[in-house]
Amino acid sequence: MPNAIEVTGLRKSYGSVHAVKNVNFTVRRGEIVALLGPNGAGKTTTLEILEGFRVRDEGSAVVLGYDPNDRSHARELRERTGLVLQDIAVEPYLTVRETVARSAGYYSAARDVGEIITPVGLNGQERRKVRTLSGGQKRRLDLALGLIGNPELLYLDEPTTGFDPAARRDAWELVRQLRASGTTVLLTTHDMDEAQALADRVVVLSAGLVVAAGPPAVLGGRDRARARITFALPDCGAISDLPLPGIEQNGAVVVETANPTLALSELTAWAMRRGTELAGLAVERPSLEDVYLQLTHESANTSAPERSTR
Amino acid sequence: MTAAIAVGRTRPRRHALTLLVHQVRYEQLSFWRNPQSAIFTFVFPVVFVVIIGALFGGVSRSSYFGGLSALQYYVPTIAALSVLGSCYGQLAVALAARRQNGILKRVRATPLPAWAYFAGLLAHCVLVSFVDVALIVGVGRLYGVPLPSHWLAIAATLVLGAASFCALGVAVASVISNAEAAPAVAQLVLFPLLFISGTYLPIHFAVLNRIAGWLPVRPFNEALTGPFAQHAGPDWSHLAVLAAWGVVGATVAIRRFRWDPRPE
Repeated sequence: MPNAIEVTGLRKSYGSVHAVKNVNFTVRRGEIVALLGPNGAGKTTTLEILEGFRVRDEGSAVVLGYDPNDRSHARELRERTGLVLQDIAVEPYLTVRETVARSAGYYSAARDVGEIITPVGLNGQERRKVRTLSGGQKRRLDLALGLIGNPELLYLDEPTTGFDPAARRDAWELVRQLRASGTTVLLTTHDMDEAQALADRVVVLSAGLVVAAGPPAVLGGRDRARARITFALPDCGAISDLPLPGIEQNGAVVVETANPTLALSELTAWAMRRGTELAGLAVERPSLEDVYLQLTHESANTSAPERSTR
Repeated sequence: MTAAIAVGRTRPRRHALTLLVHQVRYEQLSFWRNPQSAIFTFVFPVVFVVIIGALFGGVSRSSYFGGLSALQYYVPTIAALSVLGSCYGQLAVALAARRQNGILKRVRATPLPAWAYFAGLLAHCVLVSFVDVALIVGVGRLYGVPLPSHWLAIAATLVLGAASFCALGVAVASVISNAEAAPAVAQLVLFPLLFISGTYLPIHFAVLNRIAGWLPVRPFNEALTGPFAQHAGPDWSHLAVLAAWGVVGATVAIRRFRWDPRPE
């Protein structure tokens, strides 16, 4: 099956600001891909080119088999794609139900209005005026508007910003259900937990370039990175007594190892022989955030910082 | 949640008429749901006629008002003013605001064609114009202004005027870039035009009348005054000037209109 999105050599400048310098990535059908990157990295510009709001300077972009800048297919693409934008943009005086019903009327294969209000968590709010909703509820309404056309491809631009933790979990569950029903999702986020929880693959942008891409679990070689074992030093011992070399950091002992199973076995055996407890024992690998910060930091140091385009 | 539509299949489009009816309906709903905006749209012209009636109610036919009584003169010009206000002024301001807060961008992301969106706005403006004019004629009747006889000519003139001033309103919304400036820009253009076009006072200065005759407001005033007060049919030459301005507005709007709050 062809890819949902193919981007090759994408370039876009605003005057002297090179927002997107050379971006390449693909999104397979049914996949959730997260675009990550600091503000001004080119995420929103890339998304807006794919959505048809901006015209690229160079390179190619294919969305569901069409060029998003080809106006003769614009309406067809809009029938098949859904958008959840960063800015809350709903008219204040209609009710929740009316707002969703109005959008539903624009699509040829819209979902049932009642069927979308419940999954986004707005059931019971149908008759409320939009202007009386909280910020989080308006975001949910935005999500409902993005989904009402039953899109094959959904763009989510920082979808859970402003959600409380429970609402965020619910939104993630909804996105997973969409994937299960075959919907392709391209999302941007600053929340690494969100990327970790949802994305099949992440694409990291920095200063208009792709600096890394891959499944979140292996991004930047984090699956192969050395594990860190941390624990509090027992009262009865000195750091030099440990069976493995460690360093002291913020009042805890840190042992780095390529073989955490063996290292843990040695450390726990040592503790048990002494009849002591390794308080706060934890095994950690670099988090997605650690890898992300390292990748974007490295690339920021090798090229001049760009002005944010937002 | 139901399964997605078969992947990659071309989807049918909604029928143009279905879309149009749907859009007109929700445009109306949005308008009536904002009671302040709805009330002021209709109260303003009524108050205006009441004030004019109080000031000039006793002024009978005179050459100063072109052989008409003061109120016979003012009923059509205030009718024109109310159409200008809702089609040109309010539309330019509303569109600039909708663009700035991202509502237009969200509309653009749906399959609703641009023509259907603007047709919904135009239908709204025509409807408001008809209600305004009916109110103005009604209040004028209370001051003894005879009812007009050429209703068809009035209706045709109102539709053409509403369409032309809507096009000019969209054109102005296309040219200005931020919503805060929109009311000032719209008024800056309109206010002097109203004065030289005889909306507030009759102009007895041939050169000025000739100039104003080529601008959009005076032809509209004249085209309404004929069927309203002089028992005349449609005023083709003035309607032609008005239509030409509509074409100019539509051309600018089509070339320059933006949906996205941020410029390229």
